[in-house]
Amino acid sequence: MERSMTLAEELAVRGISRREFLKFCTIMAGVLALPVDRAEKIARALESVRRPPVVWMHFQECTGCTESLLRANRPSVAELVLDILSLNYLETIMAPAGHAAEKSLHDTIKEGGYITIVEGSIPTADDGIYCCIAGRTALDILKEVAANTAAIITVGACAFYGGWPSTPPNPTGAKGVKDIISGVPIVNLSGCPPNADNITATVVHYLTFKELPALDDLGRPLFAHGRRIHDNCERRGHFDAGEFVEAWGDEGHRKGWCLYKMGCKGPVAFMNCPSIRWNEGTSWPVGAGHGCIACGAPNFWEMPAYEPVPIHVLTPPTTYPEVEPVKEMSPITAGVIGAAVGVAAGVAGAVAVSQIAKKEE
Amino acid sequence: MAQKIVIDPVTRIEGHLRIEARIEDGRVAEAWASGTMFRGLEIILKGRDPREAWLMAQRI
Ligand code: SF4
Repeated sequence: MERSMTLAEELAVRGISRREFLKFCTIMAGVLALPVDRAEKIARALESVRRPPVVWMHFQECTGCTESLLRANRPSVAELVLDILSLNYLETIMAPAGHAAEKSLHDTIKEGGYITIVEGSIPTADDGIYCCIAGRTALDILKEVAANTAAIITVGACAFYGGWPSTPPNPTGAKGVKDIISGVPIVNLSGCPPNADNITATVVHYLTFKELPALDDLGRPLFAHGRRIHDNCERRGHFDAGEFVEAWGDEGHRKGWCLYKMGCKGPVAFMNCPSIRWNEGTSWPVGAGHGCIACGAPNFWEMPAYEPVPIHVLTPPTTYPEVEPVKEMSPITAGVIGAAVGVAAGVAGAVAVSQIAKKEE
Repeated sequence: MAQKIVIDPVTRIEGHLRIEARIEDGRVAEAWASGTMFRGLEIILKGRDPREAWLMAQRI
């Protein structure tokens, strides 16, 4: 393959205009929550980069994450596969099968320096027999691939923490990558499935800055998981006004009121869905009329999907979230803010803030 | 002369599939297909809120 070509050369060969390319870089800067002038740095870095080899491992998965990526509109899948990544192994779309497919994997492992994308959980019960490829267990294969990789990107809830296969009683002992592999940089693109723009942006960040994006304490990129859905939701005005959908199809539902009472998990979910959206940026679950199920949160299947989630802030916030998300609040800061809010809004405010601090500890 | 062919993984499909075939005189005499991944959705769904069944089952 023409792996010696730079991306800029490949774009030229494929007739992709510089204007289109810069537009893509600007969108990526936006998804990554970087200032717009960084788009230029992204463009410069991407132009000189050579396609990194990527292996995409499927374990206990539904291929929903692959589907999510294949639905990427920017760049189109062809551009992404051919121009940005050199996908040496992806069972869903690769031409070879059987031994020939395995050869691509083994050749890549031998060369090293590749990015590994993992989709699906890894069964650990009964010596891992619940997922085998080419006669080997997923557990074995993951350990081999991880030993020589530059970084691992997990896509989806299953590769992140085990996903629904790990829901009690977890019949196959399903686990996430971070529970099995250590000593390799891992970024968890959580979400069930994750948004294609977030997958692409993570790869672009890696190629541009030669490192993975900043992560939260669960190893999820902050650009995608730093902000609460509830704080950026277009139905929030109705929440604050006490206008709730009470039954599917009722007047409030038709008017686009808040879905909190129908079980929306927006108040406890941290994802950028309200801003980057889905289906070419046209809509997202809450926009379409169903509550958020917090699919990017660990163990979200253990929160009853149609029961309201306990909520700690009953009044509108006195301040709005900072542009750079605050990762942790020290008890002292929480105390100071608590005191200030207490003076301003009465004792109830202080109680609410101390509850948030307690929850985040 | 009998010969055995194994194709694993079968690619360009959703899921994990293994095909084994026993060839005799240039023809397939016997063949086996196995799904090589199991998660146990039926076991997990038992006892859960039925309204959630579609949410989980759409992720098979
Ligand atoms: S509860 Fe859900 S629908 Fe209501 S404002 Fe919050 S995120 Fe939006």
